[in-house]
Amino acid sequence: MRARLSAAVLSALVFWACGAEAQAPLTAVRVRGAGPIVEPTASVWKQSRAVKVAMLPQTVTPPQKPDAAIKELVVRAIHNGGWVAFLIEWRDPTLSNRIVLDNFGDQVAVQLPLDPKGAVPSPMMGNAGGRVNIMQWRAAFQNDIEVGPPTVQGLYPNAWADVYPDELMSAADARPYTGALGLENPISRGVATAVLDQMAEGWGSMTVKPDQHALGRGTWRDGVWRVVITRPMVSDDVNAPRLLPGDRTVAGFAVWEGGNREVGARKAWAPWVPLVIGR
Amino acid sequence: MAKVYNWQIGREMDYPYEGKRPEKQFGMIFDTNKCIACQTCTVACKTTWTTGRGQEYMYWNNVETKPYGYYPLGWDVNILDKLGVQEMGGPVYQGKTLFDAAPTGEVILGYLPDDIDYAHPNIGEDDCTGLMTQGAHLTMPHMQWMFYLPRICNHCTYPACLAACPRQSIYKRPEDGIVLLDQSRCRGYRECVRGCPYKKVYFNAHTRVSEKCIGCYPAVEGGRQTQCTMTCIGKIRIQGFLDAPDKVSEDNPLDYLVHVKKVALPLYPQFGLEPNTYYIPPIHVPPAYLRQMFGWGVEQAIATYRKVSEDPKLLGALTLFGATPEISHYFRVDGDSVVGYDAKQAEIARVPIKEPVVIREVYDSKHRAFRTNIT
Repeated sequence: MRARLSAAVLSALVFWACGAEAQAPLTAVRVRGAGPIVEPTASVWKQSRAVKVAMLPQTVTPPQKPDAAIKELVVRAIHNGGWVAFLIEWRDPTLSNRIVLDNFGDQVAVQLPLDPKGAVPSPMMGNAGGRVNIMQWRAAFQNDIEVGPPTVQGLYPNAWADVYPDELMSAADARPYTGALGLENPISRGVATAVLDQMAEGWGSMTVKPDQHALGRGTWRDGVWRVVITRPMVSDDVNAPRLLPGDRTVAGFAVWEGGNREVGARKAWAPWVPLVIGR
Repeated sequence: MAKVYNWQIGREMDYPYEGKRPEKQFGMIFDTNKCIACQTCTVACKTTWTTGRGQEYMYWNNVETKPYGYYPLGWDVNILDKLGVQEMGGPVYQGKTLFDAAPTGEVILGYLPDDIDYAHPNIGEDDCTGLMTQGAHLTMPHMQWMFYLPRICNHCTYPACLAACPRQSIYKRPEDGIVLLDQSRCRGYRECVRGCPYKKVYFNAHTRVSEKCIGCYPAVEGGRQTQCTMTCIGKIRIQGFLDAPDKVSEDNPLDYLVHVKKVALPLYPQFGLEPNTYYIPPIHVPPAYLRQMFGWGVEQAIATYRKVSEDPKLLGALTLFGATPEISHYFRVDGDSVVGYDAKQAEIARVPIKEPVVIREVYDSKHRAFRTNIT
């Protein structure tokens, strides 16, 4: 198992090396203002230069989706000295924000090495000792915030149940009947933001951080997603990158087309893109 | 892939993790000849575990009519079709397991059902294979037939759900072999739903993660059988623990029925998961169908079962079904009774193998009343 993992990481790094040559660098242009930058249609984005990022189907570790739908992202980056933000755009003819068994949600993620000045981790969610910060925006979470969290009646209008435990008992007593929600599994609901602030050291190790700093918002119009993911450049979170003007690091991207049943490892990903934090 | 030994197919096979058997293995035996599909087990499970939001469609325990009943729709014929025709000879199975047949980039051959496949939990109920023409009478095996198949999670020795999960959210307990899905760790990828050929992992759209049968582990930890077993009014089930075939204990009722008498058989052993719920096959169903479903020991199992009246120990083991809410770790036949013992060898059940016959007078002189012809 370990041998297979090493071989896969090696092949991923080779991919990265090849990809890095052709990939134009992404520069986070310094803009005026303060506080989080979450609006995808803000005029401030015109100050940044768009970079096309070619997306590859994830075919290194199982499970795979060789026919991953999204082939290209258009990415812009800016910062205001306090927050760095990425605007990611891609064509997606189907809006997927309803999660049921056979419906998957649209998602996009930005990945940053935890240590911008250290050795570059594996682009495939990091590696042991090479921790990465992965900020993942979810269309379903955004729908939770804008429309409300999913209800059974909302997902299945004709569903009917006589009574639920939480209608008969106190919330505390009914908690064992609420599954992952009762355990506050962060995958269940988008609470305050549509972006999950996470860390990983390789496949299968993705962990939602106890401290959530990332924010974001997306709009879907005319078959195009425009999603902003932003985070503080400096924080007291030991599992967050510390980005300063003038830093040179890398950024990785992954995207999931829910309409193509993409989820988890069944996704399109991009090798590291050089990232410059403008002065 | 590691090489693991699967005794049900009589050979080593590929599995993503090293083979390590639990200290003891949760197991269950169903006598399909006694099941009447009353769904008491289904309701007991439902009211105990899956009354919450998003669990409305979940039946961790269900009973379906074979051959035309399925939950979800077509679960077994779909995966059999994908696996293709295999040589079903034994004792060493030469065909492909679902792990052998995994497509490139997958851990196992599987498929994700559609939501609509769960729309009819009792589809095919009581549907027979065909009509009996006028003047026809049944012979053995029946020319037109159906039977009831009760199902729970098989708590497989080599679970496909566990193998398919890319982030190890599913684990098999070393102390009893029960397979659990960590509700804190799951991220709702549904790889387990796709991978499990028995479709016994369910996605909860309200919590956005998957859920499955927990083998009633709080009861089992306390020495009691599962809800579906305890409530079975037909006494068709027994739940306990199974030993590996090289450590068979003849006084363990599950070992005795599965390993010694070989009267209870696994469900679709060719899939390669070493499932740990076992079925006494229905004696009236054509063996060709049963061989596909329960493996190559079907004819022998039916022959043994049909002679049960001549075998006091086998009769005793079968009489333990539904005899006690507690788990019988051991049993022995004592005269006209079968006795069940717990893990500490304390007696927990004593049941007459042959029910005493009491004949009552038609006229009750004490109450000055005639008795009607009821038992």
